[in-house]
Parts: sequence; C-alpha cells; structure tokens
Amino acid sequence: MTGTASPQDPTAIRISNVSKTYGTYQVLKEIDAEVARGEVVVVCGPSGSGKSTLIRTINRLEEINSGSILFDGQNIHAPMKTSALNQLRSRIGFVFQSFNLFPHLSVVENVSMSPIRVKGVPAHKAHDKALLLLDRVGLADKAFSYPGQLSGGQQQRVAIARALAMEPPVMLFDEPTSALDPEMVGEVLAVMKSLAAEGMTMLCVTHEMGFARDVADRIWFIDAGRILEMATPEEFFSNPKHPRAQRFLADLRH
Amino acid sequence: MIHDMIAIFQDYWLLLLIGQYPNGPLGGLANTLILSALSIALAFPVSILMALARISKWRLLRWPVTVLVYVTRGVPLLMLILWSYFLVPLVTGADVPSFVTMLTTLVIYQGAFLSEVVRAGIVSLGHGQMDAAKALGHSYLGAMRYIILPQALYNMIPSILSTFVSTIKDTTLGYVINVPDLTFAASQVNNQLLTQPFQVFLILAIIYYAICWSITFLANRLERRITRKRAGLGGGRAAEALAMPAKIASEQL
Repeated sequence: MTGTASPQDPTAIRISNVSKTYGTYQVLKEIDAEVARGEVVVVCGPSGSGKSTLIRTINRLEEINSGSILFDGQNIHAPMKTSALNQLRSRIGFVFQSFNLFPHLSVVENVSMSPIRVKGVPAHKAHDKALLLLDRVGLADKAFSYPGQLSGGQQQRVAIARALAMEPPVMLFDEPTSALDPEMVGEVLAVMKSLAAEGMTMLCVTHEMGFARDVADRIWFIDAGRILEMATPEEFFSNPKHPRAQRFLADLRH
Repeated sequence: MIHDMIAIFQDYWLLLLIGQYPNGPLGGLANTLILSALSIALAFPVSILMALARISKWRLLRWPVTVLVYVTRGVPLLMLILWSYFLVPLVTGADVPSFVTMLTTLVIYQGAFLSEVVRAGIVSLGHGQMDAAKALGHSYLGAMRYIILPQALYNMIPSILSTFVSTIKDTTLGYVINVPDLTFAASQVNNQLLTQPFQVFLILAIIYYAICWSITFLANRLERRITRKRAGLGGGRAAEALAMPAKIASEQL
C-alpha cells in the first residue's frame, strides 16, 4: 500500500498554507507543516487551539477555506468526485476520541466490514484478517462480542484494529485516550507504541506527554490556530522556545 | 348480547372475511389486510427515500419533499382521500379504482409521517457514526445502508410500529370512497340487520384490535431479539435485556 503518485516522495502529508474559519472565528491560520514517511508526530496544545480541527482536515472530515493538503502527492481538498475522495480516505486511518464503533455489529464485523464493502475483499479473507488484527491489539477473545460489552480501552483498541484493516499507510489519532478512564490509557498507548515501532506514519493529537516524550519523532505545539513550535521531544520538553509553549509545559507540571 | 354476536358472526362470517367475492370484488377482512400490507410495504421504503431527501444537501431534492411533508401533515387524511378520489379522474380523465386511490393516498400520507420518524432516527445518531464511516472510505449511500439506517430504524421501532398500526386503522377511511374493506362489509351487515348496530360494530372493533395487537406483538418480539443479539447471547447483560420489558410493550398498549 504505497502511494500511486510518487512512492519515492519522503513526505507522507504536506500541509500548505491552510486556513479555516467558522463564521468570523479563524480556527486555523496559514498552517504549513509536513509529516515524513515513517515519522510519528504528536500535536499538542491547549484546548480550543485547533488541534482536532487540523487533524480532521487531513482526511477532509472538515473543509478548509484556503491552502492545500497533499497526501501521497494528491491534494485531498481539490475539487474531486466523491468516489475519488472516498478512495483517498480509505487509505488514511483515523481513530476518534469517542471510538465511534458501530454498535449494531459485532467486534469482528466492525473490523472486517469496511474492507469487504469498500475494498471488495472477499468476506472470509476479511474475517481472517480481522481476527489477526484483533489478536494483535490483544482482543482475540472479544471477536464475537458487541461494542456495548467492552470497556472504553477495549473499544478504542477495536477502533485501531478497524482502521488498520484498511491497510492505510498513514494513521491519524484524534485524542485517542481523552475519553478513557486513567487505568485504560496504558493499553491503548501500548498498541500505538507498537504501531510506531513498526514504522507506521502517525499523526497524534494527544495530551499524553509521556507518550510524546517516548514515541514522537517531532512535536508540533499549536495555539490559537498557529503552529508555534516544531521540535524534537528532547528540545521541546527541556528547552521550549516559544513563551506560550513554556507556559503550557509549566501548567502541565502542576 | 354475546349470543347475538355469535349469531351475526355465524351468518355473516364469509361476507366479513371476503366481501362479495367471488360474485363481486374481493372485500372484507381479506381486502383490509391486503390494503394494509401493501400500504405499509410501499410506505416504508418511500419514507426512507423521503427522509434521505429531507436531509440531502441538494435543494432540488430537499425542498419539494419538505413541502410535501408539511402539506400532508397539515391536511386531514379524509380530505386527501376525497381530493384524490374526485380530482385525479377529473385531471387525468382516467377511471382509477377506489382501491388504488386509497392505496396511493395512504402511501403518500403515511410515507410522509414515517419519513419524519426515520429522519429523527438518523439525526439522533449524531455525527460520529457518519464520520467514522466516511473516514473508512464508505460512500454516503453505503454508510446509510450498512451503518446509519440499521441503527436509526432499530432505535425508531416503537414510532415506526405506531405509524404501521395507524396505517391499518386508516384503511377504514376507504369506506367513504366505497373501498370494499372490512368496515364496508360490517356496514353492509348492519344495513341488513338494522337493529343490532352495537353488536355489529363491536365485532368490527374486536377484529381491528386483534390485527393491531398482533402487529405490536410481532414488533415487540423482533425488538427483543435484536436487543438480545446486541447484548450478546448469554452473560449478564443478556439476562438484563431479557428482564427489561421491550420498550414497545409499555408505549403502545
């Protein structure tokens, strides 16, 4: 599953001059950023800073007012047929804060359904693949349960398996642990860490600074719709340059 | 009183069951059931299409259906039936059988009501499910078919059922345009007996009650089965689901 346009391009996602407004309120202000193939980027910042909006523009769950977002060399915000957009989206994994599992389907159906319906994978193959993925996130024994029977941490791991089932080259995480009880955060982060270790390209909005420190290649600090600082975890945590980032980190330590 | 009713039933059961058939058109209970079943079977898919049109981003789809729903909601069913009965032949010059007039009117009327129920079911699911479907690459219609509607329709079973039952009851209004249904047959019986209207119309009421109650009963069972399946058979939650009365039972009877 590498890009068709330019498989050699070392950039997985290129965000150029992206602005977005809700009415008169500007959420994103001329954002320029890149995610390299195999890179793990953590996006952090205070609430209301535009983190979630930014990540949702990458698979066009949110529209933008200007700029472009290139994924595998294709501008996902260009005017295009919805079928072309669906095709692009199917190659960008997305994990939501609120899991958004399909409650009317069993766990294994949640994971296997999209490969079957979207990619036309034969049902038995998708089913076997789903069981493998569930095993990988440690939930093989829950394959025939329904989402309502699982804990939050288990649901989020199913959601990760569901996204992986489409074999996306890129995974986006929108505050994947924010809706979880504290004791369940670890199991989800462990899955994300193992993904990162396998070389998955990841962009994670999260408040888990421990995860950012251990796993991220780079941290984007965002406030009021602007990326104020891009740094490695070492630089960011030991020597943040922007005063707003310094204040943010000081607040976290309290 | 009971004896009178049994006697009436013994004398006229065939008329109540199939009307004048085979010497005349099929009528009575058989025709009521056919009219009800066809109305529901057609109104249901029509209502889903109307609901999708109502939430569509295309005005060309949204506006006409919205107008239709508002007009239908604001006009008594009897008036719509009379309009179709007198106006359609005038405008088209075609001789439309009263059964077809009644069926069409019921499908549009109940379809409009049902479409509001379906729309409410879809809207109440929130954005999360559609977002997840889109993020996985599903098309809009694919997401509707496999993800949104199965949940929305399940959540709306009580209200959908309510509309089905009222569709069955509304078939009685076909009486005014001479649709030979059960009510029509009962009224013929009453015209022949002249002295026992209470008994005749009590029989009629009992039959309608039995039909509507069976629909409620069936939907109730269906809902419980789905609830049990989603709770996973066996285990604590399944037991909980079994102990919990299905929401229909309390709301409809």
